[in-house]
Amino acid sequence: MIELRDVAYAYPDTDHYVLDGVDLTVARGEVVGVIGASGVGKTTLAKIIAGFIPNVEGGTLDGSVAVDDVPISSLPLAEAVAQVGLVIQNPFNQISGAKFSVREEIVFGLENTGVPRDEMITRVTDVAALLRIDHLLDRSPYALSGGQMQLVAIASVIVMGTPVLVMDEPTSQLDPGGSRMVFDVISALTDAGTSVLIFEHKVELLREHADRIAVLAEGRIIHEGTPRAVLTDDRLESWSVGSTRYTRAARAARGAGIVHPDAALPVSLSDSTEYFTTQRTGR
Amino acid sequence: MTTTLYEDRESAIHRLNPVTKLVAMLSIIIIVFAVQIWWVALGIVVFIVVPAAVVSGTGGRLLSLSLKLLLPILIVLVLLQGLFFPEGTTVLAEFGPARVTVEGLMFALGIGSRIAALVLCSLVLLLTTNPALLMTSLTEKGMSPKMSYVISSTLQIIPAFQTRAQSILLAQQARGLRLKGNPLRRAGAILPLVSPLVLGMFTDVEERSTAMEARGFSSPATHTSFVVVPDPVGQKIARWLLIAVAVASVVLSLLGVFK
Repeated sequence: MIELRDVAYAYPDTDHYVLDGVDLTVARGEVVGVIGASGVGKTTLAKIIAGFIPNVEGGTLDGSVAVDDVPISSLPLAEAVAQVGLVIQNPFNQISGAKFSVREEIVFGLENTGVPRDEMITRVTDVAALLRIDHLLDRSPYALSGGQMQLVAIASVIVMGTPVLVMDEPTSQLDPGGSRMVFDVISALTDAGTSVLIFEHKVELLREHADRIAVLAEGRIIHEGTPRAVLTDDRLESWSVGSTRYTRAARAARGAGIVHPDAALPVSLSDSTEYFTTQRTGR
Repeated sequence: MTTTLYEDRESAIHRLNPVTKLVAMLSIIIIVFAVQIWWVALGIVVFIVVPAAVVSGTGGRLLSLSLKLLLPILIVLVLLQGLFFPEGTTVLAEFGPARVTVEGLMFALGIGSRIAALVLCSLVLLLTTNPALLMTSLTEKGMSPKMSYVISSTLQIIPAFQTRAQSILLAQQARGLRLKGNPLRRAGAILPLVSPLVLGMFTDVEERSTAMEARGFSSPATHTSFVVVPDPVGQKIARWLLIAVAVASVVLSLLGVFK
């Protein structure tokens, strides 16, 4: 479980708080998606939850950040990373660069934390099957495409088995099929009790897989709720966040007077079909 | 894609523990430079290094690489020492101020055979040793995992940055950068490449360090190893024998036995 209370943060040598008053809770086994415009502080927030800020990067952190009721900033980094797995945005930098095969790359973190070899074999086999990268295990990490590298990067964090996962745009390099698979894996992990906080622009996938969506804007969580409630909110555009293509089409139709103005906006294909079938005004 | 020369094959040399090969290479280098007798170096090349390359199936690659590396060095050595060796007295031929002397040629042979032994031994090690196994073995023998990481990542990251430099170059060319023309113009064209490459590297280092720490890089736990490298007792004994011979050759050399 992740619990942030009134979190504010300013980078070193500046008085400007990039985050100011963030409140957010992710329960055990819950997926919460965070959306927000570029540069709004999503990566900073991810690093705070994972214990890197202020431990490594310094700066001024106010408020409280707790993982399973333990203040994460009070833990030494080695203990914090045992609680929170962090998938960073660029898979090229997620991989160690020191291993000569994908298999060795995935177990790098397990070697560092002293996991016995037999357990490593089990874990790498399981995670490779989960992410369908079994066929890549003997390849060099640098011989992979961007999408394959991203799957390996995700596998290398999932294999650590932390109770909390923070993922910063984990599908940025993936095609629609790969992105969907990653979200299926996230669902499987949450079924097993992992709490997942995911920073993502692909709102349609969040709509499908997140329990809740939070909007990060103006340095805080400005809006939060079920995917349907958030993604159909009229203020979304003003926060520079996109809604689903179904919602956008419905809004356009509503603006043109083709559908009834009071009907609830759709967020999915099935919603949309029903919406345009039942809510037409006849114009 | 890596900068390593390793050739993945099945052979007795490939199967040797990487540390055994490393110790053998270092011992041979120490011996040939301590003993300073040309036929010792040449004998090691002919009776140890070349058979090892043949058995490992890397002879062809060794020949091609050694020609590229050694030929220029040996030619320069023979020309300089053979023609201008100041202490040469037994003249074989004269070309103006240059004199081909027996002493000069023997000096060139002595230096050349030692350099050949050094280069060839190193190449056989690189051609037959999986860098990952070498790093694992060295870590098992007490080398810091951080040092192992630095060496391994350096081997891996260079081609990755070459790829990135190529991408930046293509991007700049797409925006009108012209690479043809006189050397000054071509040198100037490199500038738009350097800035994004260097700045990008700084960002990468910071991000990579975060990612490494997220995977327990600084964990105080005792590191374990996924890769298992066999190290039979026979090879351990062989390593100590090689070290003993190398030390003995240095001691005997200091005592003037080889003069």
